Amino acid sequence: MRRHGAALVIFGAAALAPLVVRNAFLLDSLILILLWGTLSAAWNVAGGYAGQVSLGHAAFFGIGAYSAALLGTRWDLSPWIALVVGALLSTAASLVIGYLSNRLRGPYFVLATIAFSQVLLIVASRWRGFTQGSEGIPVPFRPGFWTLGFADKTTWVYLALGVALLLYLIQRYLEGSRIGYQLAAVREDEDAAQALGVASRRLKVVAIAGSAALTSVCGTFWAQYVGFVDPFYVFSLDLSVRFALAAIIGGIGTAVGPFFGSVLITTLETYLRATFGGIGAGLVGIYLIIYGCLLIIVVRVIPQGLAGFVGGLSRRP
Amino acid sequence: MSLLSVAGITKRFGGVLANREVSFDVAAGELVGVIGPNGAGKSTLFEIITGFYRPDAGEVRFEGKRLTGLSPDQVSRLGVGRTFQKLRPFQGLTVLENVMVGALQKCHDVGRARAEAREILERVGLADKADAYARTLSTGQRKRLELARALATRPRLLLLDEVTGGVDQRSIPGLIGLVQEVHRAGSTLLVIEHNMRVITAVAQRIVALHLGEVIADGPTEAVTRDRRVIEAYLGQAYT
Amino acid sequence: MHDIPQLLISTVLLGGIYALIAVGLTLIFGIMRVVNFAHGEFLMLGMYLAFWAFTLIAMDPYLVLLPAIPLFFLAGLATYALVMRGVIHASHNVQIFTTVGLSLALQNVALVLWTGDFRFIRPWYYSTVVRLGDTAFNVSQIAAFAVAMAFTAALFAFMRWSYTGRVMRATAQDREAASLMGIDADRVYAFTWAIGIVCVGIAGVLLAPLYPVYPTAGLQFVLLAYVVVVLGGLGDMVGALLGSLIVAAVEVVGSYVFGTAWKEVLYFLLFIAILLIRPAGLFGQRGAESLGV
Repeated sequence: MRRHGAALVIFGAAALAPLVVRNAFLLDSLILILLWGTLSAAWNVAGGYAGQVSLGHAAFFGIGAYSAALLGTRWDLSPWIALVVGALLSTAASLVIGYLSNRLRGPYFVLATIAFSQVLLIVASRWRGFTQGSEGIPVPFRPGFWTLGFADKTTWVYLALGVALLLYLIQRYLEGSRIGYQLAAVREDEDAAQALGVASRRLKVVAIAGSAALTSVCGTFWAQYVGFVDPFYVFSLDLSVRFALAAIIGGIGTAVGPFFGSVLITTLETYLRATFGGIGAGLVGIYLIIYGCLLIIVVRVIPQGLAGFVGGLSRRP
Repeated sequence: MSLLSVAGITKRFGGVLANREVSFDVAAGELVGVIGPNGAGKSTLFEIITGFYRPDAGEVRFEGKRLTGLSPDQVSRLGVGRTFQKLRPFQGLTVLENVMVGALQKCHDVGRARAEAREILERVGLADKADAYARTLSTGQRKRLELARALATRPRLLLLDEVTGGVDQRSIPGLIGLVQEVHRAGSTLLVIEHNMRVITAVAQRIVALHLGEVIADGPTEAVTRDRRVIEAYLGQAYT
Repeated sequence: MHDIPQLLISTVLLGGIYALIAVGLTLIFGIMRVVNFAHGEFLMLGMYLAFWAFTLIAMDPYLVLLPAIPLFFLAGLATYALVMRGVIHASHNVQIFTTVGLSLALQNVALVLWTGDFRFIRPWYYSTVVRLGDTAFNVSQIAAFAVAMAFTAALFAFMRWSYTGRVMRATAQDREAASLMGIDADRVYAFTWAIGIVCVGIAGVLLAPLYPVYPTAGLQFVLLAYVVVVLGGLGDMVGALLGSLIVAAVEVVGSYVFGTAWKEVLYFLLFIAILLIRPAGLFGQRGAESLGV
């Protein structure tokens, strides 16, 4: 049980919180911590475990979010269907990035992923007839489980917790399984991995596709929870950076790292928003300055991330 | 039938002819050395056999199956293992995990692969380093790890690129012993070696390359006395 | 067809400014092997410098160029010493996230200090138009082009003929050999970084009278500069110049044919296509991209 210690603390606290806490603001923060942690974990599948660092994952988040909004408003379909449709579309789109990952390395790959998400941003913000363009599009609130409309934040906490646990377990599986070791080999040295018979090209595509589908699922949940989809937010480079950020600060390539990172940065963000939001909207940027500096320091000083640094939690026994 | 058959391999890099109609066979159970001065085309040949380079002409067959055109991982899964001259351990993984990646090729169960990897580490004398990170090893130990990783894929043919290159003198006898032990255990080996003393100690047969061409192929004693081979090496010594 | 001269000249004018942004980026990559993801933020800082100098002390943007050169040089040296020096030998991912972190921090420093409002500079010649036959151009655009080209040419000459320029190129070719010859690689990198930052900072000053100034203003230009630089071959300065013209042509012709709304899609698609077909750039050597250099 020790190797799950940190995760037990985080998820246990999240599960118990709604029993004691009734404050909507705190519950909202908790939901966001879980959701952002889950998104970073999804990014971590490709960026951390397979070493395919993408700064274009907002593309898949946006596809998931727009699926919820468009299927809901245009065809009155359930978000659960949107979730599946979004995941399928994202998987298809991720094949482009997966293909690129087999042609490009290092900064070239990163640039390509950015360009990819920017194309989707432009399409979503300019295709007025279909997406309502840059105005964004509201996601209808329809009460009920089938329509994912919960007035009660507690339900959302448990839903977010469920998805977070799923991602945690997927990552744990990636650490101890055959495919996990093979991915680690690809990340460390692709040629050497191939020489040992690892089908690296296919594995990378699979990892990126899985990561994309999971990111899309979170995008659908997020859109349904927040209730509005703005193309300049859901497809933004900032968002892609954010997914990577929590994973790197918490501990890249570790199962608990993304959640640990999310607890830290989402809490800081919420705190600063609550503190300074009323005084001057500009001051909200402070948390992003802190993130930027934190990122610079962490990759240089403790590349294994805070989770690895604090408790040696990052290594499997 | 021969295990490996290299037929008419030609490879050009720009204007440089790295391999020119290289042909030779390796029979099951042999230990064949590939020698030649720097730039003779030994490493290019290895990269072609293992699928990292594509030849401009010629083909490589292994157990009758065509390797040319396959990707490196496919070649490996058909039973051809290799080591790299420029050592490439998975730095961020432990020694045991490095070898497990090899073992997991044939064995789908992680627990069994771990046990297998431990056995192989025992064989190559790295058992006490199993939980150390690969990046902490010395060059000699890295050579052993490279070999262990390749062995873990249970290859029927193993290509070793410069086993003793860059290793301090004291570690060489141990590595030679290891290669011989692997051969005795039933593996077929194709070994690139720069150091003539090492190759004459281990190889039964030698293929000598010079400027991309095979200039001699035969029993070790004969090839080392071959005039063209001696000239090739001397020529290099004087330039 | 009478629009062709106008399109042609627009392309050249736009390309000249893109070139100055791209040349700094490609210089840093060529010598240091680092893709600077914070490049756009220095452009933004250049725009703000011009804006504040104009608003507070009514200083003309073209006059601001003079103090801007030493200021950005110092800013470059400072960021190199504080941020880049420690990661110059690190892996690509570490370098990428370091510059991404720098970008995030600088962008939000601007946001906190100066809010997210769009700001504009309106010098007296703001709406002065120069006519030449059937074509018409804003005078700021022409001035920006002229200064950008002069600066780019100076940089070319510097890299080609000056001793320091040769030392920089030697270091890029072979870091170890250069250090054996007594070249201090660290100083070369610091200098390279600072020069790259000066280029983009000046481009920012030049762009300020033409585009709105806001904290994320750098992003659109820098995305474009990535396209340019990959097109020309990362690290290739002449390639960057040609790439700038191509991207400017795509932008000008694209907005003429499809309207301004869709022009960006065109060059991003061009970007992805180039990455797929000739990742080393139209003029670069094949293979560089998958070696990860």
